[in-house]
Parts: sequence; structure tokens; C-alpha cells
Amino acid sequence: MNCLEFHRAKLADPRRLPLEAQSHAAQCAACAAFANSVDEAERDVERALAAPVPEGLADRILLRVHGARPAWKVWALAASIVLGIGLGVAALLYPTPAGEHYAREAIEHVIAEPESFTTVHLADVPSLDELIRTSGGRLKAPLGNVRYVKLCPVEGGTGWHIVFETPEGLATLLVIPGQPLGTTQHASSAEWSALARPTRRGYYAVVTPSAQKTSHVDQLIRERIDWDA
Amino acid sequence: MPISHSRQNFEQTVRAYSADLYRYAYWLCRDRHLSEDVVQESFARAWKAWSELRDLAQAKAWLFTIVRNECARSFSRNKPALDIEAVGEAELPALPSFESQLETAQLVSLLPETYREPLLLQVLGGFSCSEIAAMVGTTEGAVMTRLTRARQALRKQYEPAQSRRGTK
Repeated sequence: MNCLEFHRAKLADPRRLPLEAQSHAAQCAACAAFANSVDEAERDVERALAAPVPEGLADRILLRVHGARPAWKVWALAASIVLGIGLGVAALLYPTPAGEHYAREAIEHVIAEPESFTTVHLADVPSLDELIRTSGGRLKAPLGNVRYVKLCPVEGGTGWHIVFETPEGLATLLVIPGQPLGTTQHASSAEWSALARPTRRGYYAVVTPSAQKTSHVDQLIRERIDWDA
Repeated sequence: MPISHSRQNFEQTVRAYSADLYRYAYWLCRDRHLSEDVVQESFARAWKAWSELRDLAQAKAWLFTIVRNECARSFSRNKPALDIEAVGEAELPALPSFESQLETAQLVSLLPETYREPLLLQVLGGFSCSEIAAMVGTTEGAVMTRLTRARQALRKQYEPAQSRRGTK
């Protein structure tokens, strides 16, 4: 086995090196060092992929597959069916305006990722500058102290989830380069207010706890980011 | 009432593999709620066909395959798999330089599906190249190529990031 073959074998399956490859590494310092670096990267990948598992998952699976339903659960099921029908009728009578779909998506995204407000994650302006540039914009002035940047799955592909500090508290900016949007949309829930505004390459959304703050942050973003660069 | 032997085996299997299957589903569909639905539905399907499982040692690979199919069903993305021979180095995703600072998780998510999936099966499931080949319906050589390229792509980003962090 030569060094090239060793590299291929190690990269294809770091944990199952054939005996021949192990012998090669024992005699080749360069390949032994390469193997160490692959192992180190592999540990990093393992850590990265260890997504937190919901508590009680196995129990819920077993309950679903062969759990007997006690009487109160039958009543709960009946109640949920009635509620479901009620909600369905309400949705038909009072449909969500189509003009707020992406703004509402932004709110749901923020609700589904609460760690974005409690985690400091990749916060540096040069990165944000490049991120905005690859999304079709130009950062004219710093947005504020960026605390969180993450590439997230969104409708139509992926988008950047950014949380930054403003004088009025934390604000969320979602940059979705691949999803065209016709006009600006607004949406609100009990706790959040969102705005989705079209850009040349897609749209961005701002989410804060109030309509007033969302408007202020949107103004800040428009002042500091040129989306038509 | 005594619990049947097959039910006991099934329950042990659920407890043994549900976490790995959830993580696999999560990395395929990137949605926590959908991932749990997929895993629950996969186990429900597995239980219906449990009597057909001849060898308990095959349960893990079988379950990963069910989850894979269930994710595909959820996404209605039953498009034919990419031919690995048609995917060259040049088609690895163009990662902007700042992305080298992103965590490995995000770099993995940026890999093309054809590279990411065998990597997930190997890292999360612990499967060999030949096992993965059987699961995704391709050759062992093709899987080796995909895994090699996936790790090469990650190393290109990982090493500069490590040196910047000074943790090398």
C-alpha cells in the first residue's frame, strides 16, 4: 500500500483501517500524522452531529406503537378531534392572509430556535460583511454587536439566522437569498412582530417583540445594508 | 400479562437506537418536530413488519433504511440518487471563506446530499462502506468515493478554522 492508497482508505472509513493500511502507517510518519489529523476531525464531526435528542423519545415511541389508551386519553383524543374540527372551521372562516406568509414563517422560525437568544455564536462583523455580500447586499456600517449567526433550513432552501444587539434589545434578522418576495409583509403573534422585505436576491425578515421595535430595526437595517449593491 | 419475546426485543431496539435514528432523521430533514414524527412513524412501520425480521442483528440497518425512506416520503423527494461518477470535485459546494469559521455542523449541512448521507450513516450509524452501499443501493466503491470527498471537503474548511482558533 502506498501513501495515496492509505489516504483514500483512511478518509473512506477512519475506524476500519485494513491491516495493510495499519502496517503502512506504522512505517510512514507522514501517514501516521495524517491519520491523527483525520481522527481529530472525525471526533469533531461526531460532536457536531450529536444533535440533542428530545427527552422521553423512546417512551413516546413505545406508547404510540403499543401503548394502551386509558379512558382519560380516549376523552382527550375525542376532545382534540373536536378542537381540530373547530380550528379547521375557523381557518376556513378566517384564513391567514397570504400577504403575511413569510413574515409569519419568520416568527415561527424564531420560536423554534430559542437558543438563538441564549447562545453567543460566531459573532464578528467581517463575517457578517461577507455573509451579507454573498446574499446580494453590502454592509455599509456595523449593525451592532452580532451574537448569533447560523445557516438554517427555510422554505425554499437555506437562510442566515442572525441575532444582534440593538439599543432596544436583541433583534433577529433572517436573510433568505433564494426566495423571491413580491411586497413587504407584516405579521404578529402574542409575543413577536415580524416584517419581511424583498431584496434583489430574495428577502430579509426582522423579528422583535413589538411592531415598533421591528420598524426601528428595519430602518436601521435599511440604513446600514445596501441590498441593491 | 407476560410481554412477548418479540415485543421485548422491539422495546430493547427502540431504546437502543431511537437516539441515533432521531439524529439521522434530524440531519436529513433539519427539523426537530418532523424528525421525531419520522422516527415514531418508522418504528410504527417496523413493528408492523417485525415478524419479518429474521435476524435481530440486522435491525439497526433495517431501521436506518426505514427512517431514510420515511424522510424521503415526508419530503416527497424521491428523485433518483445522483450518479457519483457525474459529481466531480468541482461540484463540491463553493463555501465562502467566512464559512470556515462556522462550526462543523454547519459545514456538514452544506455538503451535497450525495456526500452527506453516507457520512451520516457512517458517523451516526457506525456502518461500513459495504453496509452503506447496500442501504443506499449503490456500490461499495461509490460509497468510498463519496466518503473520501466528503471528508476532504470538510478538512479543507476544518484545518484553516482550527489554525485560526489556535487549537491545532
